[in-house]
Amino acid sequence: MTNTSNSLSFSLSRVSKMFSGSQFDATTAFSGGGFTSSQPSTLNDSSPAPSNSRETPGLVPVTVKQISEASQSGDEKSNFVINGVDLNNVTLVGMMFEKVERNTDVSFVLDDGTGRIKCRRWINEAFDTKEMEAVMNDMYVRVYGHLKSFQGVKQLVAFSVRPVTNFDEIPFHFIDCIHNHLRSKIKVEGITSANPSSGSSLETPVKSAPNRSQASNPVCAQHSVDGLKGIDKLVMDYLEQHSDRSDGRGIHVDELSRELKLPIEKIKLSLKTLADDGEIYSTIDDDHYKKA
Amino acid sequence: MDTSNPAVFVNAQLIPNFIGKKVRTVVQVSQCDGGVATAKSTDDCQLTIKGLPQVPLMNYIEVIGIAESNNSIDAEIWTDFGSTFDTFSYNQLCQLANGEFKGLFL
Repeated sequence: MTNTSNSLSFSLSRVSKMFSGSQFDATTAFSGGGFTSSQPSTLNDSSPAPSNSRETPGLVPVTVKQISEASQSGDEKSNFVINGVDLNNVTLVGMMFEKVERNTDVSFVLDDGTGRIKCRRWINEAFDTKEMEAVMNDMYVRVYGHLKSFQGVKQLVAFSVRPVTNFDEIPFHFIDCIHNHLRSKIKVEGITSANPSSGSSLETPVKSAPNRSQASNPVCAQHSVDGLKGIDKLVMDYLEQHSDRSDGRGIHVDELSRELKLPIEKIKLSLKTLADDGEIYSTIDDDHYKKA
Repeated sequence: MDTSNPAVFVNAQLIPNFIGKKVRTVVQVSQCDGGVATAKSTDDCQLTIKGLPQVPLMNYIEVIGIAESNNSIDAEIWTDFGSTFDTFSYNQLCQLANGEFKGLFL
């Protein structure tokens, strides 16, 4: 399990670097779709998990192949599940084919290279008509929509369709799919690995019971009660215990390494993870940290 | 819904794995004569693209078609991506889509 998590974390950081290094500016490229940063696009941004402990992220970048493998958690009205995460709204990028315009709706097929899916955009007002006039067959489009199942066939009810004008958006979207896939996988495995007895861990992630006793060696324990990795938990606990220091400088990495008897590399890796998650922050320099 | 005929993301290095199959790649066209174009792949190799009409030289073109040999593709669909394109990210994507994340694409 540790190896899987490590390789996933490595992959995630590798894909994240691709995001930061790319010339593609997501902010401007996505501005035409009517969705701004206020609408969460990844798991980390989404609201707290509902009572069934499955998260419903805001807008998930997916491929048609992923949709084809998504399972439905219950009846035809229930959400689709990918990686143990409920899908509500999705975004795809692909080529438009077989566009058919009617008074009430426009239907088309979206081909993203991994497969084809039928899409329908309901026409309720002039804006909808105008938006659909801007796109045509053989054109790359970005679609935002809601997954539905009709007589067992998955379809997409689109609420926004816009032409791709910056073609870096195409590889960006697929990298985004990989990135999101990794994030959700890490998140799900982070929740389930504390409870290895559950059979279909990816399908139904279960948070471990609050009274579960921790493993005797906390450093070796992969995940603690609250889902934090062993070292992360130790670091957090130490920072919490010493949060009342009057100088406000925070705790130095050397002190953490010395007191917790752990290699400085592991401490730094843990601090980076916790800082990225907003649990802690650096103070006077990159070596001093305080609990957020 | 149909996932039976995917177009695989490839660079020149990956084409030999998909001879006779549908592939997609981005190339920079350097020469175009009577439907046959000479172009540079995102991993800096020379490819021959058949069935391509006259396109602006040095533009980046996405080609979807059948891989005929190790260095040639018979184009079915092509899209002009213009004069600027992030080839590095595309090349990385080709590797990821044929490596550990194959399941998301194929």
